Amino acid sequence: MNMNKLFKTAGIGLSLLLAAGVALAQSETPEEASPAAVVERLHAALIEAMSGAERLGFDGRVALLEPVLSDSFDFETIARIVTGAAWKEASEEQKDQFLRTFAALSTSTYASNFDSFAGQHFETVSSTEARRGQIVKTHLVASDGTKIPFNYMLRKSDSGWRIVNVIAQGISDLSLKRAEYAAVIKSSGFGTLLSLLDEKVRGLQNVAN
Amino acid sequence: MGKNPKVLAVLLGLALAGCASNQSSDPSDPHENLNRSFYNFNDKLDRNFFEPLAEGYVKVTPDPVRDGVTNFFDNVNYINVIANDLLQGKLNDFASDTGRFVVNSTVGIGGLFDPATSLGLEEHNEDLGQTFGKWGAGEGAYLVLPFMGPSSYRDVGSPVMGTLLNPLTYLTPIITVPLGAMNAINTRANLLEASAIRDQAALDPYTFVREAYRQQREFLIYDGDPPGDGFEDYIEGEADGAILKVY
Repeated sequence: MNMNKLFKTAGIGLSLLLAAGVALAQSETPEEASPAAVVERLHAALIEAMSGAERLGFDGRVALLEPVLSDSFDFETIARIVTGAAWKEASEEQKDQFLRTFAALSTSTYASNFDSFAGQHFETVSSTEARRGQIVKTHLVASDGTKIPFNYMLRKSDSGWRIVNVIAQGISDLSLKRAEYAAVIKSSGFGTLLSLLDEKVRGLQNVAN
Repeated sequence: MGKNPKVLAVLLGLALAGCASNQSSDPSDPHENLNRSFYNFNDKLDRNFFEPLAEGYVKVTPDPVRDGVTNFFDNVNYINVIANDLLQGKLNDFASDTGRFVVNSTVGIGGLFDPATSLGLEEHNEDLGQTFGKWGAGEGAYLVLPFMGPSSYRDVGSPVMGTLLNPLTYLTPIITVPLGAMNAINTRANLLEASAIRDQAALDPYTFVREAYRQQREFLIYDGDPPGDGFEDYIEGEADGAILKVY
């Protein structure tokens, strides 16, 4: 019984885990943005994608979110972590392909899940220093007041603070992907991982269009 | 009813046989081969039976009715939550959860409504596995149980205690069997969104579910605030770009 309950909560978490944002901090350059500002910019774009979901359509939401995601996430670090040891062995070409596909998958996933609006908003709870970066804790607040915790791990990269992980209701996106990708790489290799990711991206586009 | 214990005995026998012989790459999932078989078995059963049934149920049942059904089954399970509050020494939660159970069972008409939440008596999520975790037990090997899904050595007793402390268990089968079926369908219906996300996102659904389960359990044991900031788990050996530690 208990696992059913936790999957109920996990489900809400996961549905939100897969999301991103733009508009608020445009006056600041990305280099100047604090960790909390990076997260808030992402959240603003997510809310914009949700509230304009119908008008924008799937492609419109992708177009809206893509630049924000690439300014908010450190995809190279993420790629290195989620592919583990395989990253070092991959060719430059494979790495490029992985980064492109992974970014497309992130954008499509957000665009596909943040497709309707029911008065939700995000609030930033805290931003604290960690030994290798910064943790920004936030809530997604539903219109009935229900709060879903979203924690972000950020690292300082050459181009400023960047998100490396999203933890929604205790479920870490990095850990999940890392475990899954390791299983695929081990059983069928890096090439198969690349084609599976590519399939996922096309699947999301097909469902939406 | 008569056949079920037999089926279970056979499956448990398989489970025990599997303990000795399986090999897995993940040290915390030594029974991966057997777990994957049960995962596939559960998944087939779900896709052919429970999922379509749950979808049908959602179609014909108005939301407020489904909320009432969910509230009712949450409430009859709440003695288990209260008992685990006590076992974990959470006396404040024990008091508020007892109040919650009393209010929802009476004012909430047998638990169909949830007036307690608006009175500030928030719902908590506790069970025996979380209690063992709180006491310091590790999760032990990951398990997939036939018909029931993800579990672990630490969590395998949770549904047993939950069943023993559920008042419905002690009613006549004429009542418990249909109620149990209703609970199963309603629970599955509440999971439709989660399973849609799994289907959308997972490359390897077995691993996806396993990791989500483990992390969610950790999150629940620490009541939403697991220790550590997580960075050390991912970012090690920066200089050569290697990631040494596995989360």
